[in-house]
Amino acid sequence: MSALLEVHNVSRKFGALMAVNNVSFSVGQGELLGLIGPNGAGKSTLYNLIAGVLPPTVGEIVFNGQKVTGWKPYDVARVGIGRTFQIPKPYRQLSVVENVMLTAFLREKSTAGARKLAEATLADVGLADYFGTPVNALTVGLLKRLEVARALAMQPKLVLFDEIMAGLTPTEVGVMTKFVAGLPERGITVVWVEHVLYAIMKTATRMIVLNRGELIAEGLPVALARDPAVVKAYLGEEMDFA
Amino acid sequence: MSVAETQTFAKIRRFPILPERGKVSLFEILLLVVCVALVAARLPPSMGDVLLLTFLFAGLGLAWNIAGGYAGLISFGHAAFFGVGAYTSTILFVHFNVTPWLGIWCGALLAGIFGAVLALVCARLRGPFFILSTLAFAEVVRIGALNWSSLTGGPEGLSIPPTASLINMVFTSKTTYAALMLGYVVVVYAISKALEASRYGYYLLAIRDNEDAASAAGVNPLQGRVAAMALSASLTGIGGSLFAQYFLYLDPTFVISPEISFQFALLPAVGGLGTAIGPVLGSLLITPLSELLRSNLGNAAAGLHLVIYSAGLIVVMLYFPGGLAGAIAKLKRWRPFS
Repeated sequence: MSALLEVHNVSRKFGALMAVNNVSFSVGQGELLGLIGPNGAGKSTLYNLIAGVLPPTVGEIVFNGQKVTGWKPYDVARVGIGRTFQIPKPYRQLSVVENVMLTAFLREKSTAGARKLAEATLADVGLADYFGTPVNALTVGLLKRLEVARALAMQPKLVLFDEIMAGLTPTEVGVMTKFVAGLPERGITVVWVEHVLYAIMKTATRMIVLNRGELIAEGLPVALARDPAVVKAYLGEEMDFA
Repeated sequence: MSVAETQTFAKIRRFPILPERGKVSLFEILLLVVCVALVAARLPPSMGDVLLLTFLFAGLGLAWNIAGGYAGLISFGHAAFFGVGAYTSTILFVHFNVTPWLGIWCGALLAGIFGAVLALVCARLRGPFFILSTLAFAEVVRIGALNWSSLTGGPEGLSIPPTASLINMVFTSKTTYAALMLGYVVVVYAISKALEASRYGYYLLAIRDNEDAASAAGVNPLQGRVAAMALSASLTGIGGSLFAQYFLYLDPTFVISPEISFQFALLPAVGGLGTAIGPVLGSLLITPLSELLRSNLGNAAAGLHLVIYSAGLIVVMLYFPGGLAGAIAKLKRWRPFS
């Protein structure tokens, strides 16, 4: 498996705070990499560094053999990195299908072509009944699915999912988990930040764990659940009651 | 129904009744027919003035709407582009004897450059700060025009010799001007409709609605803003040249005034921001209203026409927040018998 995304010793400082501290990892073609960590661990900052929203203070990011460090978000998107936003950022004045068309335009230049691609993508995530619906009429769960559809409509090589399960019912989580698990087969490599751990533990081929900006563990989901460093990051020190 | 009738009916049904994005509607066709008929009717000169101004301002409202409506770049400085267009073609004509038919394009180009510069300079400003900077920009252009007397004639203004001829783009008949202005509206309307239906039109809406999401979709927001402002300014410049050819006199305080800028913004706001039909409906309602109120009440009770005019605006803003186009869209969803 060749590496599609390589992150080399990347750091990002906000004033005195090291939000991301010397993080290195790589994602192979066709992987489904889980990225977990407690609140404030630096997961979203790391995403913003990869997606070009923020430049890293030091370090290098290579995508598909190409250095993309410090690129602008639109340039990163054009080489094939799609993303969702943790807090959905829809175009409020456009309909559901138009929201998705805007990313589909990266692949289909014509309006009719983009509409077709957007409709197919929406049907994929189970939003076939909502093409013409104004975005404001969508529930949280539907908005999350819209985010996923938007990221996928540009037919990315790599997609960065950011908590796409939050606010979903257990049934919806089940359906979405299955859907995400099927993406690598379709040629889409996935990096996935998620707080709904049972969903990601089941699906990820490999996981990395961030805490206080640092990469503290890496491995198979089963192994990580028993890793003392991971348990400590999530639950704190074991107390001695004796 | 005969076969022929059925076929004709099917052909008509392909056009939606009310305006839609990316389609030509029966409403728009009908409106165009009415406008052409009004031009052909050769109205008396006083009415002819109102008609041609209504057309001119519909075109200018459409031009403003490309930046203000689609891209969300609310500008109160478009009078600057109007002035740049008007002065460029007039200076070329008066000082260098270049026909306005050519000068108009030079004006459009220069106004477009001014628009691009404004968008670049104000790239980091949003909301009220952007609006204020556009207002200031127009003031700078106005004061520049006032002081560069050798070129613009300064406060004394610049007159176009009223020798009617086709090559000079000066006409004796109001009908000819009305036809010219209608042509302007049709061109700017066609550009707006084409933009609405294209990828670039959607890009502008995306930049307006959510810049972060647009960036993640591969859209360069600054590029979009600069292009929208340049196109909008350029089309406004053409309107400025046409106005100069009709009015035959330019003076900076009148042509590059905030009042003119507000008027450009007002028509789409009343008619419906970010729709092609909006500015046209806005001008059809507002321009004749303001002209007729002024000519009928201007002498008897000075200022009363402004009171009535403003009251009307408040009513529209309060009860039709989506503008006239929004009211029509509501009508489309109205099912009285279900």
